[in-house]
This record gives sequence, structure tokens and C-alpha cells, in this order.
Amino acid sequence: MSLVDFLQIWIIAFFTLALFSFLYKDNPFYKFAEHIFAGLSAGYYVGLVWNSVIIQQMIDPMFDNGKWWLVFPGLLGVLMFSRFTKNYHWISRISLAFVMGNTAGIFLLSELHGKVLPQIQSTMLSLNMNQSPGALILSLIVIIGVISTLIFFYFSKEHKGALGGAARVGIWFIMISFGAHFGYTVMARISLLIGQVQFLIEDWLGSIIQFFV
Amino acid sequence: MIWLILAYVLLALAGIFLLYLTFRTGDRRFIYLAVAFYVIFPVLLTLNLPTEISPEVRQLYEAVEALPDSAVVMLTFDYYASTLAETEPMSRAALHHLFRKHCKIVTMTTIPLGGPSISERVTRDLAEEYGKTYGIDYVNLGYKANYVAVLKGMGSSIEAIYPTDNSGTPLAEIPMMSHIKNYQDVDFIYVVADNGIVDYWMSIVNAQYQIGVGSGVTAVMAPKFYAYLSSGQMTGMLGGMKGAADYEQLVHHHGTATKGMAAQSLVHLFIILSVVAGNIIFFMERKKRGGGLQR
Repeated sequence: MSLVDFLQIWIIAFFTLALFSFLYKDNPFYKFAEHIFAGLSAGYYVGLVWNSVIIQQMIDPMFDNGKWWLVFPGLLGVLMFSRFTKNYHWISRISLAFVMGNTAGIFLLSELHGKVLPQIQSTMLSLNMNQSPGALILSLIVIIGVISTLIFFYFSKEHKGALGGAARVGIWFIMISFGAHFGYTVMARISLLIGQVQFLIEDWLGSIIQFFV
Repeated sequence: MIWLILAYVLLALAGIFLLYLTFRTGDRRFIYLAVAFYVIFPVLLTLNLPTEISPEVRQLYEAVEALPDSAVVMLTFDYYASTLAETEPMSRAALHHLFRKHCKIVTMTTIPLGGPSISERVTRDLAEEYGKTYGIDYVNLGYKANYVAVLKGMGSSIEAIYPTDNSGTPLAEIPMMSHIKNYQDVDFIYVVADNGIVDYWMSIVNAQYQIGVGSGVTAVMAPKFYAYLSSGQMTGMLGGMKGAADYEQLVHHHGTATKGMAAQSLVHLFIILSVVAGNIIFFMERKKRGGGLQR
């Protein structure tokens, strides 16, 4: 193991333990690690965007390939900085209007074709009695789940009588969905802990053993 | 073996005792201690508990398996360093599978913090193992900001979005990229992500360019994307560490996800026990106080 690898492992281990120390109580090591992370992330992000966007996609094509028209999107970007002035902050709205129009145009079609229509289609299931009992039950659950959940989110009429009953069924489906989300979230958070524990035991303790042996 | 069983029994007793202390003192740090025990113990002893492969993972494996040799696959590293424990094993398992099938791999990321360096490190490691050459067998495009513009723009020209690869080499000088111009030249997209970008791969790329998309996502994201599976839009999915462990089994490479599953199972058992015990105590206390909800 090289000295650089060794130092890298120790720095990661130090910051991991500093952040874990918050589980006991708030302390200066945790604060230190938190601030280092915030500062490093911001600096790294600025450098990366400057190189991969400003230089590669604007400056280089303008000067090397004569794509002079790129000055216009660049100018729109510069206009965003007018938000920091008191009297001219309205100028940034020109850039924002461009972004909003562009985004709305892209998402209108993609959401419709990629989500709304295929998802509606996938809930239009057959209730044909000739299919297997398992498939029929699953289709019924999907149909009842979709309709009752949609009814729960229909607020133009008071949830009473049949409408109220259907909305209550909808709540059950929503609750089951929350339970699934919670279960998966537990798994996700524990996975992150396992990853760091694996690092501490295998890499960090491993590096100490390697150092002495 | 007998020592292992004894260790499990002691661990179970320790967990019950710590749970008792939590309810007794109201100090949640005892729970943290119990979780730490259940994670450290299996990692130290490298325990392996059996897991059953999920259908959606097998579906993704079979979709990749059905690709012709030398197919062009775009593999994304759309995740931050904070979720490496779940996502890196997915990327590694996917690369094992793709390199073994001699696929041409184009890697990219839309995540600035970690994405570019993780994709570089992981791909280089696996390429060395399989004797693959950069520029001929795989290319790392790196990071580009504004994922909507990136995803949409690559439909017309990948080179317009990524004029150079991650190390600054112009795409025109990379042999593999000479016949990969846009999505029409890509056979499959394998998205590994820890955020909602999978939605855009589905709605912008899959829906508009009709390319098969399979995904590996963190467990937090997984329930949301089952809708794409049931509608047939998505070709298989790896959900969290379990999905990664399943895929590792399918490609016969037991990595960190497989090793972590024993700890995962033990912690889950403990959490189920905590939830049940917490509810029993809650109802017992409510009964003792006369059925009211106030404590």
C-alpha cells in the first residue's frame, strides 16, 4: 500500500468517525467534518462546471470552431447575476422565462408519452374470467387500488356515503404504499451504514494491520 | 459452528437487553448501539445468509444476456459518493456482465459530486481485470451539467453534448465512438442512479427513442419505479443492496453487496422486533391509563 493510499484511507476513516460521533451528541469533530464537506462540495462543483460547461461548451467552440452565436446563451447566463442587484434584478427574468418555456416544452411531451399514457394503459387490465385466478386477483387489486386512490384525491365533493367508503379504501392502499416505502428506506439507510462499517473494518483496520505486520 | 450459534444467541440477548434499556430510559442511543452490533458482527465474521433472486433482477440480467456480443451499452453512474454502498456494487456487477459479453460500454454521469471519479475508478478496475482497452472496448464520457439538455441532446448527437471524454480527448479521436453518434447506435441503457433521473431516462429517452432501459436504484427510490416495471416500460430493476446482491449472484461475482446482506437481515429482524415491542408497550400503557391516546 502506497503512502497516498494509506493517508487517503485514514482521512476517510477520520471523517466517517467524526460524522458518526453525532449519534452520541453534537460535538466539534462533527461540525468540522460538516463544514469541510460543504466547502469542498461547493469548490469542486464550481470547478467542474467551469471546466465542463463554460470552457468546453462555450469558450472552446466559440474560439476554435467559430460558433460565435454561443455568446447569446452565455449572455442569458450572465443576466442571471442581475438578481444580486436591487434595481436591475428584473433583468434575470428574461433568462428565467427562457428556461421555463424550454423546460415546459420538453416536459409536456415527455411526461405525456413517457408517464401519463403508458401508466393509464397499464392500469386498463382485463377482468376476463378465463385467466388464472392469481392474475385475476392481481388485476382486481390494481383496478380497485387506482380508482379508490384517485377518489381519495377528489376533493370537490365531501367524502360521505359511497364516495367516503371508496376514499377510505384508497387510504388503505396509500398506507400500504407508505409501508413499502418505509421498509425500503430502512434498507437503504442500513446499507449505507453497512458500507461504511465494511470500509472501517476491511480497509481502515486492514491498513493498520498491514502497517504493523 | 457451535461458537457461531452461541454468538447469535448472545447477540439476540444483547439486542433484547438494549431494547429494554431504550424503553426504560427513553434514550434512543441504545438502539444505535444495538444496530451497530448487528452490522459489525456479520461484517467481522463475513457471514453469508441465503437470499432468493428477485424476478425484476433476473429480468434485467436476462435482457443483458439477450444482447448480441459487441452490443453498445450506455452505463450511467448517476449517483453521489454518499450512496456508494448500494450503487457501486450494482455498477461493478453490471460491468462484470457487460465486459464478459464483450459489449462496447459508454459510461457517463449527470452527477457532479463523485460521479466522474467513481465512473473512472470503477470502470478502469474492471477493464484491467478483463483486459479491455480504453477507446476500443469502453469510453468514459464523464460529467455534463443540466441532465435534461444532456439526455435530450444525445438523441441528436453525443459529440455535441460531450465534445471530449472525461480526460479531455476529443471524441473524434476515439475509435469506438466513430460509429456511436446518437441513441440510434446504442442497444441498451443501464442506468445506475440514486435520484429521480431514472424518470427522465424513461420519459425522455425510452419513450421517445424506444431504447430498452434497465436500472439499478437505491432502495429509497425503488418503490417508485415498480410502476415502470409493471407497465413494461422498464426492462428489469435492481432495488438497493438486495438487488445488487442478487445481480452479483447471477454474474457469479460475490462482492460487497452479497457480504452486506447478512448484516441487512439481522438489522431488519431487530427493527421488526423493535416495532412490535414498541406497539405492544404503547397499547399496554394506553390500557393502563384508561384507553386515552394521551400519554
